[in-house]
Amino acid sequence: MHLLEVNNVTKRFGGITALKNVSLYIDSGEKIAIIGPNGSGKTTLFNVINGVYIPEDGRIIYMGRDITKLSAHERAKLGIARAFQITRPFPGLSVRENVMIGALFGTLSEKINTREALKIADEMLKLVGLYNKRDELAIKLTGPERKLLELARALAMKPKILLLDEIVAGMPPAKVDEIVDLVKNVAERENIAVGVMVEHVIRAVIRFAERVYVLDRGEIVLSGKVEDVMRNPKLREIYLGTRFKGGV
Amino acid sequence: MIKGKIIDHMSLIIMIFSYIIIWMLKTSFPEYSQMLTLLLYYIAIAQAYNIFLGMTGYVDFGYVSYFGLGLYGMALGVSYASQNNLSSSEAIILGMILSVILAGSVAGVVGGIALRLRGAFFAIATIGLSQALRYLIEGAKIWGGAEGIIIAKDLRKLFGEEGFSYATITLPDTGIFILAVATGIIMYLIRISRLGYGLLAIKEDEDAAKVFGVNTTLYKFVAFIISAVLTSLVGSMWTLKVTAIYPPESFNIAFSVEFIVIVMLGGGGTVLGPLIGASIYSLSKYYLGVYLPGLQLTVFSIILLLIVLLFRQGIVGELRSFLYKHEIVRKIIR
Repeated sequence: MHLLEVNNVTKRFGGITALKNVSLYIDSGEKIAIIGPNGSGKTTLFNVINGVYIPEDGRIIYMGRDITKLSAHERAKLGIARAFQITRPFPGLSVRENVMIGALFGTLSEKINTREALKIADEMLKLVGLYNKRDELAIKLTGPERKLLELARALAMKPKILLLDEIVAGMPPAKVDEIVDLVKNVAERENIAVGVMVEHVIRAVIRFAERVYVLDRGEIVLSGKVEDVMRNPKLREIYLGTRFKGGV
Repeated sequence: MIKGKIIDHMSLIIMIFSYIIIWMLKTSFPEYSQMLTLLLYYIAIAQAYNIFLGMTGYVDFGYVSYFGLGLYGMALGVSYASQNNLSSSEAIILGMILSVILAGSVAGVVGGIALRLRGAFFAIATIGLSQALRYLIEGAKIWGGAEGIIIAKDLRKLFGEEGFSYATITLPDTGIFILAVATGIIMYLIRISRLGYGLLAIKEDEDAAKVFGVNTTLYKFVAFIISAVLTSLVGSMWTLKVTAIYPPESFNIAFSVEFIVIVMLGGGGTVLGPLIGASIYSLSKYYLGVYLPGLQLTVFSIILLLIVLLFRQGIVGELRSFLYKHEIVRKIIR
């Protein structure tokens, strides 16, 4: 049984079909990447998986349970965490409180009190290297720091599956490697499955994912092992169009 | 360790200490007694409202309704008790229970419907409530209709001629004092609990809060009910002070605005905000009434404008942000 299965999911916004019969799966502890050009439906796919949108068609099965109609907060409690592309820290709260909220309402939510949540928050902040900034207001953090906060907050939920929107976009390559390694280590240690969404930073994907799904105009057009997909000429077409025949 | 714990709860200690000072001032200077009771009344309501408005950021223009229903609950309880020859304490308890039931059930219905809306739409949806209740009472001639309910006679019957000043001064003044302390403690406990963090997350970013596991609908609803019920209890005590209530005053939307100003002036979601906001507001209202009669509302509309334009976090919130670097200050000013 897969940890998460997306079966023939279709999501429409008025006349626009953002996702068309999309199917994919993630196994426990596995790392996959969803790649595709801007507007291909990656964000919608994540939103459907974590419950921001309910699809018109298809089902989402998580740990053998149909969660298609569950709301976002219920899915969070079951262990589906998300780190946003455009970071959304709670700006008026401290860095520590931000991460605490992740712990307080994640999979441990009913089992821990605020004091224990604080402990988890500090652990996660040490992990991502923001511990020194724990008492700053989240709004004071720089862009890359906010991404780390976003990651710490998602990890504090102690998820089974972590959906990372383009968390490394706009970062220098050295920093990208650092974050990718960080996520990889934590995910392996805590057996978290990771789905990462990538638009341009293919380098990060290669370092990270075991399997890749390629989305184009709301459909999955390619999928498989990283090496195979990367070598497939179709990938080039998707990004650069069919008239482009040269090498990349 | 113990010292650290005390500092962690310093804002609560400051709050309770302030109540003791207010109470001492009240007993030492009887000439200011009414002004200080009015202050405690504003503090209690502001703290109750802070649980909803301050922590979730949802503005409820119909909030006076829960105060008004509290007024009516006590009036109905007292007049029923007097007609049915119940004892004086039974009358007060019945009044408080009725206040809670009336406010709680109306808040349940309103919250269940209106809390599905966000921001401005929620505010608009709540505007009509107080007016609707007023005209329902007047139009349908229930609860005394437009003539209101006058309970002075009933209180004389229940408490006796010599107990009348106890029933209309000592009892409600003490009740309001206890409520101010109680709402303060409840508000503080909520603020540092899971519920409080959930509410603050909703205020900061409701969609993100949902994704991070906060059951936003439930949390908003719970905060709304707690807030409404506490305010209704303040109303129930107020009835005993005024001994006569009428629909237009009980459901006057100007009071809703007043409560909003106080919470926002002090700092929504902060522990000390309601205390500071209510103190500044009620003292300046009192003295503006003396020196610039008739201009109070003009002055406060300017203050509200300034808060919205410049100091969105209110006095305590802005001060806290400004001094956030200092750990001690951060722990004391909450």
